[in-house]
Amino acid sequence: MKKILIAVLALVTMLSCFTSCGDSSDWEYVEGNGKLTIGITIYDPMNYYDENEELIGFDTEFAKAVCEKLGVKPEFKVIDWKNKETELKAKNIDVIWNGLTVTEERRENMDFSTSYLINKQCIVIKKEDAEKYTSTESLKDALLAAEAESAGETAIKADANLKNATYNPAESQQNAFVALLAGNVDAIVVDYTMAKATCGSGDYKDFVMIEGIELTQEEYAIGFRVGSDMTAKVNKIIEELVADGTLKKIADKYEMTELYEEALGK
Amino acid sequence: MDFLDVTLKLLSGFQLTILLFIFTLLLAMPLGLVFTFGTMSKWKPLSLLTRGFVYIIRGTPLMLHLMVVVYIPGIVFNSPLVRWPIFGGNTNAAYFVGALFAFVINYACYFSEIYRGGIESISHGQYEAGQVLGMTKSQIFFRVVLLQVVKRIMAPVANETITLVKDTALAATVNVYEIYFMSKEILNSEFIIWPLFYSGVFYLVFNAGLTWLFRHIEKKLSYFRS
Repeated sequence: MKKILIAVLALVTMLSCFTSCGDSSDWEYVEGNGKLTIGITIYDPMNYYDENEELIGFDTEFAKAVCEKLGVKPEFKVIDWKNKETELKAKNIDVIWNGLTVTEERRENMDFSTSYLINKQCIVIKKEDAEKYTSTESLKDALLAAEAESAGETAIKADANLKNATYNPAESQQNAFVALLAGNVDAIVVDYTMAKATCGSGDYKDFVMIEGIELTQEEYAIGFRVGSDMTAKVNKIIEELVADGTLKKIADKYEMTELYEEALGK
Repeated sequence: MDFLDVTLKLLSGFQLTILLFIFTLLLAMPLGLVFTFGTMSKWKPLSLLTRGFVYIIRGTPLMLHLMVVVYIPGIVFNSPLVRWPIFGGNTNAAYFVGALFAFVINYACYFSEIYRGGIESISHGQYEAGQVLGMTKSQIFFRVVLLQVVKRIMAPVANETITLVKDTALAATVNVYEIYFMSKEILNSEFIIWPLFYSGVFYLVFNAGLTWLFRHIEKKLSYFRS
């Protein structure tokens, strides 16, 4: 038993030397691997599959454009969103790039790039409730859900009416949608980009967004390892992509022009 | 996505579920016997060490072990699992083997306790009889005791095996794209919920086969009834 333990430890130490000895910076590490491993979830319209099972989406195309300039291959890795910080720290992925909201708490675990989209929050309800719920005022006794630690949760806590409602954090935004479908909640607060892609399709065909409600806004950015020199490098590339119109073109394609212009465009 | 598309996508995930199941079983069953010998060893340090290990593994959640295997190499040893040279850059293989490792260790611990119960249930008189007949210790174990043990532990082993089929869904948390992961992915990209429940049918059918198999084995073994 002990001998096996020693052998395993020796193996691990050996392997750690194989892969990491001599990396002086995060960029050299990524460059050495020849690819940038990008942590994503399947999230329409950021990263999702088209009819041919090809990965597309705003973040997919954006990441491909950045990787081309970096001269490395993008490798998209579908991860469990709850584990994103750990995946990043364990170097199983190199960046988190999937409609990641910039928050102060997250800064402890990652560095953010320049924000590239505005992340508006919106309230989604069932169509049959459209007359009952028209404002945050009407929702103050309702049952609410949003993803734990998400921008939606922040919006609920910041709103004078919504903060009085009964709020149950969900594991993910997708789970919040399922909770609404099941009738476990009356309304959910989710990313506008996601709600726009989701409401009206599949089992969510009877979901609608409440129009004309202003909630707190946040921003989307790319997450890097703390202290990584990749951040500055990618920020420079983002500037170039804004200047030559590439990013605007991608935003137009996925109907996010307004969100893009508020964040980056002039 | 129609029924056929969903079925095919779920089947592609179910392949991984079955692979994880089979490899875990093949590796954990013999490893469990090694742990049993460790636990029952007359040499105190070995017995204590194995018992301590089994206690820790049985006393903590499998979900946690999956995290330890997949994340600790990168965080503590600065050697990310997915970059280990043996995986040749295949990250899917890295996550699969990582998950498999955690499953094997876990189930070996459970099996080892089932084996121990089985071995200790054999009456002492049989060992004495063997000695009188001039058999060696290993002869007594392999020729007299083992087959009786196999028969006695069949029911709890069947229990663990069926639990294992369902536990493989936990591997979804560390990016093994098995059937549960696939059904969630369909929900997240197509916004249809029924595949999530449909995936249960795959487990059910597979377990029906296992149940039949174990009943068959038990019937064969009832030959030993005295």
